[in-house]
Amino acid sequence: MTSIPATATQHPHVEMQRPRSKLRAADAIATGTHGLRSRKGRTLLTAIGISIGIASMIAVLGISASSKADLIAQIDRLGTNLLHVQAGNDLFGDAAQLPPESPTMVRRIGPVDQASSVSALDTDVRRNKYVEDNNGLDVFAAETHLYSTLEASLAHGRFLDSQTSTIPTVVLGAVAAQRLGINNLQGAPVVDIGGRNFAVIGILNTLTLNPDIDRAVLIGNDAAETFLGAEIVPTAIYLRANPEHIEAVRDVLPPTVNPADPNEVTVSRPSDALEARAEVDKNLQNLLLGLGAVALIVGGVGIANVMVISVLERRGEIGLRRALGATRTHIATQFILESATLATLGGIIGTILGAAVTYTYATQQNWRIDIPIEALALGITAALALGALAGLYPATRAAHLDPAEAVRPTT
Amino acid sequence: MSLTRFLRHRATTPPTPQEATPPVLELVDIAKHYPASPPIKALDGVSLTVHPGELVGIVGASGSGKSTLLNIIGTLDRPTAGHAYIEGTAVAELSDADRSGLRAARIGFVFQQFHLLESSTAVSNVSNGLLYQGVPRKQRTRLAIDALERVGLGHRVDHRAAKLSGGERQRVAIARAIVADPAIVLADEPTGNLDSHTSADILTLLGDLNADGTTILIITHDQDLASAFPRRVTVNDGRIIDDHQTQFPTLIPAATQ
Repeated sequence: MTSIPATATQHPHVEMQRPRSKLRAADAIATGTHGLRSRKGRTLLTAIGISIGIASMIAVLGISASSKADLIAQIDRLGTNLLHVQAGNDLFGDAAQLPPESPTMVRRIGPVDQASSVSALDTDVRRNKYVEDNNGLDVFAAETHLYSTLEASLAHGRFLDSQTSTIPTVVLGAVAAQRLGINNLQGAPVVDIGGRNFAVIGILNTLTLNPDIDRAVLIGNDAAETFLGAEIVPTAIYLRANPEHIEAVRDVLPPTVNPADPNEVTVSRPSDALEARAEVDKNLQNLLLGLGAVALIVGGVGIANVMVISVLERRGEIGLRRALGATRTHIATQFILESATLATLGGIIGTILGAAVTYTYATQQNWRIDIPIEALALGITAALALGALAGLYPATRAAHLDPAEAVRPTT
Repeated sequence: MSLTRFLRHRATTPPTPQEATPPVLELVDIAKHYPASPPIKALDGVSLTVHPGELVGIVGASGSGKSTLLNIIGTLDRPTAGHAYIEGTAVAELSDADRSGLRAARIGFVFQQFHLLESSTAVSNVSNGLLYQGVPRKQRTRLAIDALERVGLGHRVDHRAAKLSGGERQRVAIARAIVADPAIVLADEPTGNLDSHTSADILTLLGDLNADGTTILIITHDQDLASAFPRRVTVNDGRIIDDHQTQFPTLIPAATQ
């Protein structure tokens, strides 16, 4: 069943040939950039306004991404499988102790690869017996495999071994060495611990994950007992566990270490601190991005301002174009294109500038350079959008200029 | 062909009125009032018909309404009352976009201050006369060069507008007005910014173009100048007070002597 459309019975409609205004896309672009090309100085100055906003945003994103990439690379290098067990405080707020057998207990947890304990000794370390100040340094009695558990490295000398653990020798953490003024092992330096000289046999490199070891001097357990009369009670245990079971290990550590008072045991993962640093950076990053956005908006207002002035100055041109057959849409398009091009130019300059700043800064900091490609795309897109937006008002004004008024002689 | 020669030429071969073809321009009772108390009557009941091939001078003192009249003829302005037809098309019924289309294809403008894009070349300025008809660039350039040759500027094609003399600039503007082969060329004080010698050249050029068939309407406040045209329409206080057709114009503007 077919129905005949009503128009089928009507006479063929004869459309009168009416001339239409049309502007080719290529011509629209050429027209939209004509104003910029003929006022190069002004174009550049206006573009710089927006480029500052874009540059600062790209630099903020690039620098924080580079810094984060560096932190992540550092975390990857150091590993996230190191755990730190420490005696916390008891119910009364007094410092608790770990049970003497706790290191052995910890080693029995399946996924634990290795564990090593240290005992903080109640004594001071000095450069020599005449110096009062202990420089805020700790003295730790350490097991010989602490070195491998921490994946430490030596700047000078060697670490404690089964031999040197029994004689008065000491290995310095990086900060401890610096504070004691011992930069190398030349001249066989000694330090004074509890009124007795200990020979320095090694200096550790900085341990990013274990600043507590950096600030400590390490002696062997046997030496501590023999020469300082100390009682070896573990105060902290460092352990490496299978990364896949790290959370499970973390959960069972307190009851394993101290079955009687699991609450008195604190377990931390030092790499969390680095990750937290990456997160803390985010707040600063948002603040700086906000500032960049303000700069961008100021740049956008600058463009709108220049475009409004341009419309006033180019009344004659607008009138001429209308006389030549441009529609209001053609005029509006011309000015929006001009504004968007101007802003995009600023965006491109800003992106290059921002990338250069990031490159320079990251190189100075010895970071891996990481400029997010999305940031570059976002920068240029943001500039384009802002330019189009900024051009809206001037374009509307231009389009609604009375053509008869616009072509009138101004003299 | 000089204006003098052109006028002699016109004197021996008067234009054959083409009554069969519709007039290029027809104004019926056009009024243009501006709101004020009392209302300002820039135009008040103007009727005018222009046939293809005519060269009409519209003359009037400053403030007589002749510029308003030109803007209405050029569809840049809308009348308060009355009807305007360009080649039979009622302009009042057209949308803004359609009037733009009409201007692009059928109306050429020449302004007192030339209105050239200063940083663009002569050929680029002229080709802008075809810009809003969607003519491809190559074709525009070719037609623009032709038009520049017609106005005697074939040797100045690639010169920037800013580097041209006043007379040359107005020639570029005229080339731009004729490049699209419009039904009518509207020239608003085309010699207003030129010295007397250059003015004469420009008038001669317009005369030559008219002799080749272009319908031209020239607005001027200069009585002497207007008297040289075959048809002279005098406007005063928004009304046409005289529409004088000279089959054998004998007066030659002082400027050309």
